[in-house]
Amino acid sequence: MTTRSRLSACGVSRRDMLRIGAGGLGFGLFGGIGPVPYVFSRASEVVAEAASNKILVVFEWFGGNDGLNTIVPYGDPMYYKHRPTIGIKEKDVLKIDAHFGWQKSMRGMKTLYDEGKVAIVQGVGYGQPSFSHFTSMSFWHTAAPNSGNEYGWIGRTASALDPAGTRENMIVNIAESQTLAVKAEKHVPLVFIDPARFKRGTFAQEHAPLEALSAQTVPVGDAHKYVLEVTRSAAQASEVVRTAWSNYKGKDNPDLRLLDLDKVVALIEADFPTKLYYVPLRNSLFDTHVNQAAPHDRQLEYCSDAIAGFFREMKRIGRADDVVMYVHSEFGRRVPENTSLGTDHGTAQVNFVIGDPVKGGMYGTPPSLTDLVLDGNLENTTDFRQVYASLVEGWMGADSTKVLGQKFQTLGMFRA
Amino acid sequence: MTGRVRWSPGPATWKDDLAPISASDWNYDRAAHLLAHAGFSGTPAEIEQLADAGLERAVRSLVHYESIPNPKMQPFVESGLWDPTLNAFPESRPDATDRALKHGMSMGVENKPAGSRPVQPSSDRFFYWLRATMLETRRLGYWWANRMLQTQHPLEEKMALLWHGHFATHENKVRDYRKMMQQIDLFEKYATGNIRDLAIQVAQNPAMLYFLDAQYNVKGAANENFAREVMELFTMGVGNYSEKDVREAARAFTGWYFDNLTFKVDPDKHDDGPKTFLGKTGNLDGVDALKIIFQQPVTAEYLAGRIYRFLVREELSQDLKKRLGTVLRDNDYQVKPLLMVIFSSRDFYSSASYGAHIKGPVEHFVSMMKQLGVDAIPGVPDFNQSTIAMGQHLLNPPSVAGWAGGKAWITPGLLIARGNVARDVLIPDMTGFRDWNFSAGTDDVLGRRLRDGYDIGAATAVNDPSKMSTFDMVAMERDEQFNTRISGYIGWEQAARKLIPTPRNAAQFDLTRMVLESGSKTTVEAVDYLMWRMLRVPAATATRDAFVTFLTKELGTDNIDRAKTYMEDPLRLTVHLIMSTPEYQIV
Repeated sequence: MTTRSRLSACGVSRRDMLRIGAGGLGFGLFGGIGPVPYVFSRASEVVAEAASNKILVVFEWFGGNDGLNTIVPYGDPMYYKHRPTIGIKEKDVLKIDAHFGWQKSMRGMKTLYDEGKVAIVQGVGYGQPSFSHFTSMSFWHTAAPNSGNEYGWIGRTASALDPAGTRENMIVNIAESQTLAVKAEKHVPLVFIDPARFKRGTFAQEHAPLEALSAQTVPVGDAHKYVLEVTRSAAQASEVVRTAWSNYKGKDNPDLRLLDLDKVVALIEADFPTKLYYVPLRNSLFDTHVNQAAPHDRQLEYCSDAIAGFFREMKRIGRADDVVMYVHSEFGRRVPENTSLGTDHGTAQVNFVIGDPVKGGMYGTPPSLTDLVLDGNLENTTDFRQVYASLVEGWMGADSTKVLGQKFQTLGMFRA
Repeated sequence: MTGRVRWSPGPATWKDDLAPISASDWNYDRAAHLLAHAGFSGTPAEIEQLADAGLERAVRSLVHYESIPNPKMQPFVESGLWDPTLNAFPESRPDATDRALKHGMSMGVENKPAGSRPVQPSSDRFFYWLRATMLETRRLGYWWANRMLQTQHPLEEKMALLWHGHFATHENKVRDYRKMMQQIDLFEKYATGNIRDLAIQVAQNPAMLYFLDAQYNVKGAANENFAREVMELFTMGVGNYSEKDVREAARAFTGWYFDNLTFKVDPDKHDDGPKTFLGKTGNLDGVDALKIIFQQPVTAEYLAGRIYRFLVREELSQDLKKRLGTVLRDNDYQVKPLLMVIFSSRDFYSSASYGAHIKGPVEHFVSMMKQLGVDAIPGVPDFNQSTIAMGQHLLNPPSVAGWAGGKAWITPGLLIARGNVARDVLIPDMTGFRDWNFSAGTDDVLGRRLRDGYDIGAATAVNDPSKMSTFDMVAMERDEQFNTRISGYIGWEQAARKLIPTPRNAAQFDLTRMVLESGSKTTVEAVDYLMWRMLRVPAATATRDAFVTFLTKELGTDNIDRAKTYMEDPLRLTVHLIMSTPEYQIV
């Protein structure tokens, strides 16, 4: 095993490695991270060697984000016709060009955009769209519109990257309960929301018998098999997560408002082996049926600040070249405002792909505000699976047809 | 320990067979299997009673429970937090303070005529009710959990729990514990009754009307939220209706609203025009629409499948689902006949249905109490905090889709939480426990600052103004009229003054007596007895041996009689270990 592969296999951070240098390999090396978690010691040499450093973070904006009040088409008079009351005034827009601008509270993402690190993808959706939060999100989770799949697209991406399923903790899901997108055939996603609670509380004398908890080798059925597997992985995973979290200084910094992205930073900083992070937004205010101006403004500011803070952290820990974030919702909202100063469930939405490796700019065709479809809705001009294919293939380097079942035109959003 | 009936699932060939098992197939283990699924498990004595009754009487006593006395069921005792000025509660704090700015008052409190922060009373009042209803909902959760534990009708409570997750609303949005209480009553009343009647009641239930935006569904501007969910999640499942059906149904429901706790119809806002819904045309109203939904065969299948998966196992073939749907439809959506068929069937006692159900956190917690012989939900640990940690916040399901259930109940984190809750029940942290009802959380610091003599501006300021984010700047600007941050603290204080405290006692049980009464002479026998009592699925011999080694070491002997004066805590730790096994999570 090479020094490099052993280090990443053990979860020692790259900064530690750089600081100490290859010659410094020894006991002191592990001082920063506590006991070496044996969870990584099983990762095979070959896999560790072949693995790239690339990471994908999906930040899901559940609730149905109003794309038109996010990337505002202030240059189109039709926009104000449809939205006489809740349309964002030109003076409140952070302008991109003569036609579009960011919603005024999104200074964080605007700055990243100006640095050329944000791809804005317009008109993202699918045919015969569902207007249900849960149905539509399940289509996005499974990448199977008007259909379904037992596994999620992130779960299938894990399978494409590691067909044997030997790499542990490939997927981390920062959520109260497992998101359908991460459901995988062979990989058990690590799902947690609060690292402090992610710990088995035991009395000292119980340690020995607890080792025997999952001794059963003949499960009586599928549910039993599943609970046994999770019992085994839980013991290992909880320790490394808590160590990473306690080592992460950013959690005490009041200027960093990272929402749940703080856990992702902590794990990346600890050189966790995870390739795929999935973070659904909690306590979402995006379902803006009623009086939407203030809550939408606030929600976008929270999210935009969190994303900007996240990438500041990536830069600080030297991983800005390795991480791409993808932002999507389950649908956009109807173009005309409703009678409650809000907007109802709609169709095509705006997506963001963010990071240093991204070629910033506008992608996809902005849907017309004149030729609306399906009772006042935006036409879907970019199939969301094109964005998925771009991420899976163009960024993660996996075969997107294995994930999506067919070939989709990619958008070319990444620097060579 | 001879004669104790062990794990005895029926043959795999019974799977999907709805024919009843014969009287000779009935035994203690099958009775335990029944009680674990049709209720919340039980003590050996309770299981023995079902075993002695025979299959038919046992199933009948669980399903047709009405004539069985249920003396411990008591009405919820309210703290008295609500008054009529809180009717039509504002949707947000800005809504509350805007009302006050416009009308000089809101929620029964007037603005100050002069001085700083004239609108502060309305801001405080808003947060008072927000905290009050949240805290009272925690008490309501306790009350309901105690019903689950103390009832003589376990299937009634089990089914009520199903309907709560099925017709899901959460107090976070409803913001009125009284409406949540109405729902519990409804779900108990119709627990095993007619689902069509239940669905109509739910559609006219204030919590649901508010939750799915009925107040915005009016003639000429239909809001589709309820119409969509009623078909997608409550009755038919996606793919069995068109978007046009959703729009037409929304029109049928227009004009439905509520005033305080009463359902009302506003004829002026109801669209009385003709509608075509699922192929039927007429001047349909909401009840008509629901009745049409229940004429669809797919509705019976969808609901029968939902009930089956909640009670028995996740895996359900299309064919069995169809047959269960037929039973439900043939009985005009009465649930009892379907439950009789399921719980008497070979399928239910087949090996495929043994150990195939992952217990939900509330079910799990109540089952723990039942198996320990505890007669009241303990105050330490807190029931709500415990179940939230395990992934289920009673009266606050995550969305209208309820809880995902099945494997979604188990992740590394949630599994660890189950072990921790068991530890806290068995070895409660009586001196370290802090009652979260009487802590404003991060706002506690505000109370300390006020009592130390800081004014409101200083108490709510962040330490270093140069570090202030845009949010805080906005909050400061608004300080001319009111201070919303201090209201968050004051509201909690005001609600807590009136709140009836939850008793913070430990669970009462005696494992020493339990083990002595079992006749166990050695640590091997004691561990075997406890595992038999707690587990439905056998653990590995290696696991059991490790627990025996542990108990023997803790006791300093393998002789139970020798250790009987000091063995309570070692036995409790042993049960903690048993409850932490993967096998304990499934029945």
